Amino acid sequence: MTMPISTPPNEARRGSLACVGLGMTLGSHLTPLARSHIEQADVVFAGLSDAIVEVWLGRMHPDVRSLQPYYAEGKSRLKTYRQWVGLMMAEVRAGKRVCGVFYGHPGIFAWSPHKAIEAARAEGFQAHMEPGISAEDCLYADLGIDPGRYGCQHFEASQLLFYRRRIENTGYLVLWQVGLVGDRSLGRFRTGPAYRQVLVDLLAEDYPLDHEVLIYRGATLPIQPPRIRRIALRDLPQVALTAEETVVLPPAEPMRLNQAILDRLDALDRLEAHAKM
Amino acid sequence: MADTIDLLETIGSDATLRHASAGELGDMLERAQASAALKAAVASGDSAMLSTEFGNKANQVPESVQSPAHEEEEEEEEGNEPAPEK
Repeated sequence: MTMPISTPPNEARRGSLACVGLGMTLGSHLTPLARSHIEQADVVFAGLSDAIVEVWLGRMHPDVRSLQPYYAEGKSRLKTYRQWVGLMMAEVRAGKRVCGVFYGHPGIFAWSPHKAIEAARAEGFQAHMEPGISAEDCLYADLGIDPGRYGCQHFEASQLLFYRRRIENTGYLVLWQVGLVGDRSLGRFRTGPAYRQVLVDLLAEDYPLDHEVLIYRGATLPIQPPRIRRIALRDLPQVALTAEETVVLPPAEPMRLNQAILDRLDALDRLEAHAKM
Repeated sequence: MADTIDLLETIGSDATLRHASAGELGDMLERAQASAALKAAVASGDSAMLSTEFGNKANQVPESVQSPAHEEEEEEEEGNEPAPEK
């Protein structure tokens, strides 16, 4: 049970920014603290993945401004996200308590909340990020994966193509935003099978083509189950894939002992044992 | 007719309802006088049917900005973009 406590007067009326996560599923994941940030804000900006969830957010505050209209096919998403930062900062500078609400966790695969907080702090305003339950959190629960068991690498899929990264195939590999892999324009919301074939060719250096791949999408509405599909790696270019779906590659090989390090640890153990005698 | 958002929030925050079968949820929605769209979405397992009630709006999701050296290029153009119509 919560007790009503009067909030201290906001003497200076300095602007402030809180970026909070709404979690993934409507009604299930919103933390009490994130809800409080929303309710106590003067203005709320919404960067949400589901239009119905946006309606739900609208019930929590009379001034919720959707950031969705700033997206446009062919327009660089970076430009869109810079506009989002500009919109939030304009209200902060006007002395408002601003709350940016983002789906999942506001700091995971989310450029603008980090930048807005950075900008606000650089100008001397109070700025804060409040974590939310992310797609990654839901993925672990729904797929029954413990990242501590074999280790787990996460990459934005395009980054894996653009840069030389080391894939560790004895652990899980989680690839985000495969649906638009290889898009260098930042202006497309999906890329086609040929782009995914480039990804498959790269992955084939570390995984057999018949390796089982999981395609996962968490529930955003509480009437949905999570969507989990299992296919062979070679079929990845041909399946229908949306931007919110995540590709998971389970380990392809067993972990190998690092005998040289184990020998060093043995030697250290023996030294410590001698020292105690 | 019961409010759909209220019903979704109730389902999302109730341990029994959140993982109930479509049949169980359907009975509950019938008793609660849920909208036809919500009942159809639950019965069919296709939540897209619910979108009709909310104007079929589709939100974009990517927050990816992976593009080599793109961030620096874009910096110069900042502020030139007109505001979209809402």
